[in-house]
Amino acid sequence: MLALLFILFAALAIGCALAVVAQRNPLYSAISLIGVFISLACLYVMLAAPFIAAVQVIVYAGAIMVLVVFVIMLLNVEEEEHRRTRLKFLVPVAVALSAVLIAEVAFILVSVQEFRVSPTAGGSNVGVTSSIGSALFTRYLLPFEITSILLLMAIVGAMTLARRGGLLSPNARVIPGAQLFARSMVDPMAAPDDLRAVEADSTQEAADLLGMNRRDRNESA
Amino acid sequence: MDTAIDIALKFAAITVAFTVVLLIVAYTVLAERRVLGLIQGRLGPNRVGYGGMLQPFADLLKFIFKEDIVPDKSTRFIYFLAPVIATMAALMTMIVYPFGPEIRIPFTSITIPLVIAHFDVGLLYVLGVTSVGVYGIALAGWSSNNKYSLMGGLRSAAQMISYELALGLSLIGVILLAGTLDLAQIVELQSGWHGFRWFIFFQPLGFLIYLIAAIAETNRVPFDLPEAETELVAGFHTEYSAMKFALFFLAEYINMFTVSMLATTLFLGGWNVPFAEDIFGRGTFLFGLVSAIGFLLKVIFFLFIYIWLRGTLPRFRFDQLMDFGWKILLPLALLSIFITATLIFLFPNL
Repeated sequence: MLALLFILFAALAIGCALAVVAQRNPLYSAISLIGVFISLACLYVMLAAPFIAAVQVIVYAGAIMVLVVFVIMLLNVEEEEHRRTRLKFLVPVAVALSAVLIAEVAFILVSVQEFRVSPTAGGSNVGVTSSIGSALFTRYLLPFEITSILLLMAIVGAMTLARRGGLLSPNARVIPGAQLFARSMVDPMAAPDDLRAVEADSTQEAADLLGMNRRDRNESA
Repeated sequence: MDTAIDIALKFAAITVAFTVVLLIVAYTVLAERRVLGLIQGRLGPNRVGYGGMLQPFADLLKFIFKEDIVPDKSTRFIYFLAPVIATMAALMTMIVYPFGPEIRIPFTSITIPLVIAHFDVGLLYVLGVTSVGVYGIALAGWSSNNKYSLMGGLRSAAQMISYELALGLSLIGVILLAGTLDLAQIVELQSGWHGFRWFIFFQPLGFLIYLIAAIAETNRVPFDLPEAETELVAGFHTEYSAMKFALFFLAEYINMFTVSMLATTLFLGGWNVPFAEDIFGRGTFLFGLVSAIGFLLKVIFFLFIYIWLRGTLPRFRFDQLMDFGWKILLPLALLSIFITATLIFLFPNL
C-alpha cells in the first residue's frame, strides 16, 4: 500500500518536474512546479514528517509560487513562446549539470546503502513539530535569528525600492498590492485587451495615470 | 484486509462528510437570501417548497441547464482548472475537524472518534490547503482574458495574502495555550470547567482578529473587493457561467463554513457543550449526539454573523482594506501574541 502510494506521488513529482522544463508557457511551468511541491509534501507525510509537509505546502506552494505566478501573469507571456531558439546555447550546459546531479544521486545511493533504515522505524522524532521547534530555538537559535534578520532586511529593501526614494509627495500613500494596473485600464490609447502591467506607486500616481487629475500622463511602462 | 476495510470506511466517511457539507452550504445560501430579505424588509425566495426549502435544488437545476460559455481568447486549460482548484481546496479541509468526542456504539464495545482524519498537524494542514485556494481565484482572473477578471483576481490574491498573515498570527495565541497543532487535542483541552473552558476567554483579542481576518480571507462583505459589482462587474468570475460559476459560488460558501468550523474548534470549545458531560457521561452515544449538535449550532452562529454583516455593512475601499490589514490587524495580532506569551511565561500553571 505504502509502496503504491510512494510510486504514485514520486511519479507525479517527476512528471510535474519534467513538465516544468518541457512547457513553453511559463504559467504552465509554474503550475507544474506547484504540482511538484504538493507531491513532495505528500512524500513527506509518508516519511512521517507531517510538519515539514505542511510547511512545504504553506511556504512553497502557498506563498512563494503565488508571487511567481503573479509575476508571470503580469508579464507578456506570448513573447517568450515565440522566441524558441533564444537560449539554445544553454542546452549542453543543462545536460552537463544534470549529469553531475545524477552522478551525485548515484553516489549517495551506492555509498549510503548500509545506513538505510526502514521507513517505518519507530521512536524517531525527526520531523515532529516539537522536536523541530526545540531544535530551532535552542541549538540553532543563532542561525535562525540571523535568517529572520536577513528576511527583514529583504522586506525593508523591497519597500525602499518600491517607494523609490523621494518621488512620493507627502500626502500620497503606497497601497501594497495595488501598484500594478493593466495598461488598458490606465492608457486610453492602448488596445482594450492590453493586459500589460502599468506601475503606479501611490494613490497620487494612480490618480494621475488614470487621468483623474486632468493631467496628460498616459504612458509609463 | 483490515487496511482495505479501513480505507473503504474512510472513503465512505469522506463521501458522507462532503454530502453533508454541500447540503449545509446549499441551505446557507437559502438562509442568506431569507435573512437578507428579513433585514431589508422583503421576503426573499419562499415559493419553491415549504418556505422556499427546495430553492437550493431549483438553483442547482438551473445551474446545470444554463449554457456553459467559454470566452474565445481565454486560456482554455487554466480556465477549466481554476474552479476545480477553488472547490477542491475548499472541500479538502473538511476532513480534519473533530465534530464530536469519541463515542461508544450502543450495545457494543467499539469506540469511534467523531473525526474523519486525525492529523498531528491538523491546524497547519488547514492553513496549507486554504493557502492553495488562492490559485483558483488568481488563475480564474488571469485565464478569462478580461480586464475586470484580472483586476478581481489580483485584488483577491493581494487581499488573501495580506490577511493570511493576521489570520495565522491570531492562531498562534491558541497554539501557545494548547501546546499542540492537533485539532482534536485542542478541543479536548477546552473541556475543563464543565465544558466551558473555551479559549475565547483567554484569547479575546486573538478571536476578534481571527474573525475579521477570516471574513477577509473568504472575500465576504465588507471585504468583498474582488467582486465589487460597481467597479469590477463580478470580479474574477465575470466570464464564468453555469456550473463553473456554481463551483466558485460553492467554494466561497464552503470556505465560510471552513473558517466558521475553525473558529468554533479553536475559540468556542469545538464540540464541548457546557454540562453535557455531567449529564450524559463521557463516551455515551447521547453525549456524542449532543456534542455534535452543539458543534453544528456554534458553526451556524458564525454563518449567521456572516449573513448579518452582509446585511449591515458597506464595502471597504481598497486602500482602506490594505491599511486596515497591515497597519491595524497585523500589529494587534503581534501584540496579542506578546501578551499571551508573557502571561504564559509568568503564570505557567494557569
